[in-house]
Amino acid sequence: MSAVTQSGLHRDTKGSKLVRYSLIGISLLFVFLMLILPLITVITEAFKQGFAVYSKAVTDDYTIKAILLTLEASFFAVAINTVFGLCAAWSLTKFKFKGKKILATLIDLPVTVSPIIAGLIFLLTFGRQSPIFPLLQDWDIKIVFAVPGIVLATIFVTFPFISRELIPVLESQGTDEEEAAALMGAKGFTIFRRITFPHIKWAFLYGVVLCAARAMGEFGAVSVISGHLRGKTNTLPLHVEILFNEFQYVPAFAVASILVMLAILILVARSVIEHKGRKK
Amino acid sequence: MYVELKHINKHFGNFKASDDVTVGIEKGKLIGLLGPSGSGKTTILRMIAGLENPDSGEIIINGKVINNVPASKRGIGFVFQSYALFRYMTVFDNIAFGLKIAKKPANEIKERVHELLELVGLSGLEKRYPSELSGGQRQRVAFARALAPNPQLLLLDEPFAAIDAKVRQELRSWLKGMIQKLGVTSIFVTHDQDEAIEVADEIIITNRGRIEQVGTPYEVYSNPKTAFTASFFGQPSIFKDYSNFRRFDILENAENAIVRPEFVKVTKKNEVQKYKSSAEEGVVEEVDFRGYGIELRVRVNGVLLTARRSFDQPRIDVGEAVDVFIYRMFVTQGDTATLLENKSLRDPVVVI
Repeated sequence: MSAVTQSGLHRDTKGSKLVRYSLIGISLLFVFLMLILPLITVITEAFKQGFAVYSKAVTDDYTIKAILLTLEASFFAVAINTVFGLCAAWSLTKFKFKGKKILATLIDLPVTVSPIIAGLIFLLTFGRQSPIFPLLQDWDIKIVFAVPGIVLATIFVTFPFISRELIPVLESQGTDEEEAAALMGAKGFTIFRRITFPHIKWAFLYGVVLCAARAMGEFGAVSVISGHLRGKTNTLPLHVEILFNEFQYVPAFAVASILVMLAILILVARSVIEHKGRKK
Repeated sequence: MYVELKHINKHFGNFKASDDVTVGIEKGKLIGLLGPSGSGKTTILRMIAGLENPDSGEIIINGKVINNVPASKRGIGFVFQSYALFRYMTVFDNIAFGLKIAKKPANEIKERVHELLELVGLSGLEKRYPSELSGGQRQRVAFARALAPNPQLLLLDEPFAAIDAKVRQELRSWLKGMIQKLGVTSIFVTHDQDEAIEVADEIIITNRGRIEQVGTPYEVYSNPKTAFTASFFGQPSIFKDYSNFRRFDILENAENAIVRPEFVKVTKKNEVQKYKSSAEEGVVEEVDFRGYGIELRVRVNGVLLTARRSFDQPRIDVGEAVDVFIYRMFVTQGDTATLLENKSLRDPVVVI
């Protein structure tokens, strides 16, 4: 009896074959046009004049510098957001305090604010017009149009990624296991290492990967604060823009292909992590 | 007294979870903390464990005030309602956790864990993860883990709540036997009266943050002192005015009358009944099959009473007029409950 109703329901919710195939078809077509085609274009444009030109563009001094700067900014963004993300996720899920809702909302701010505005915020906070600019000069600290500014902007933009991955997992876990461990005499760090971290490990790694991906690709905020100094404050996305604006199409696409490959690498890492996380 | 609570008060915001709780527990006893949800029983357990601090009052274990002793130093084993097994550790590591934290030597830990696994009947499962165990097995692991450091006091929060009915029955008698065998003083929280009656040596009844009554299951069931206790057990029919039931003394300021199914005898008009002459007239409104017998709902003097009959007795149908004899009832006046007996029980019996 119940089996009959279930399969009837099954047919109703899944719709007819026509609906099914047209929905799948639309999705595939859309993905092909919007994602696959541009990717293929990037790669073919990059190799248009042969491998020699490609490798010259990729091994160009400025390109290497841009790669290193991108990796540096991403590294700091991931490291700092890891610490912040763990702290924020932990305090939001395990403690009760005033202003908790406000903190939870503010964490999402970087996602809703346009990156250009994020860049401007730092430009105005640390730039020449800022009241703290003389102080920074006295201490000989350069932020705007320098590497620290780029790192700051990248951190700002990638701010919520790790904490947002951790919060739902920590919430679903509750505090029973931690309490049980504490009752048996385990101290804070042992509890974190033995009980909490194994639980959030995969969500955490996933957050790190997302954070790194976003950090490498960041253009808007970094563009405002970097000053586009070649070999100094030029990240990979900015470098692509400069080459493109100078009509150096092949090098522009070649450098872009590096970003594409990094993105694919991250995608692979992501699905491996997702797969392992689900198995656990 | 091994565990003593003295004038404990505890608030959560505006909610009073403990209201001047004073109670003592003897060494070696298995105690049931029984009450409806929100009555403050889990709070009492968590305060003894040190997971919550009372606003005022003293908690004493073995003669020492332990209010300021951290939870991990109180020598208490705690079994959580959800078991709170460490899901990323094997059964072995779960049980060994407390011993490892206490920095016991590895061979001693191994020996103790295997001893406990044998005790709870889970030998051979030490490499499993909690997700690979059944509900009953998980509870046994939680029990073994709580016992591993040799606690002087074992606290169990709703230990049977997460288990299906059939296994629950088995585990109740298993746990009772196990605790008796080990002789460890134990307190368990439950909202299930049958569970408390079946498992506990002594029951502490809580209601709205207060202790209502303490006693053996027999005492609290058959001799309730408070209005709450009288109405909590059994399957009581509660009504306001009992003056129509002529064979009972009328008490002043009586609030409610409470009649349990076992106080009521329902007989067919043609059945022999010792107290037929003083039985009341009733009409059957509901007849339900209950496995152990038949449950009846009978309207007597405008009041709907629940009664039971066994399968050997002649069948009664809905709408049938029957004789209803009430042996006893509890009558509440404010907070106290008084047991009234049917006066006919005292009269010399005239057999016609």
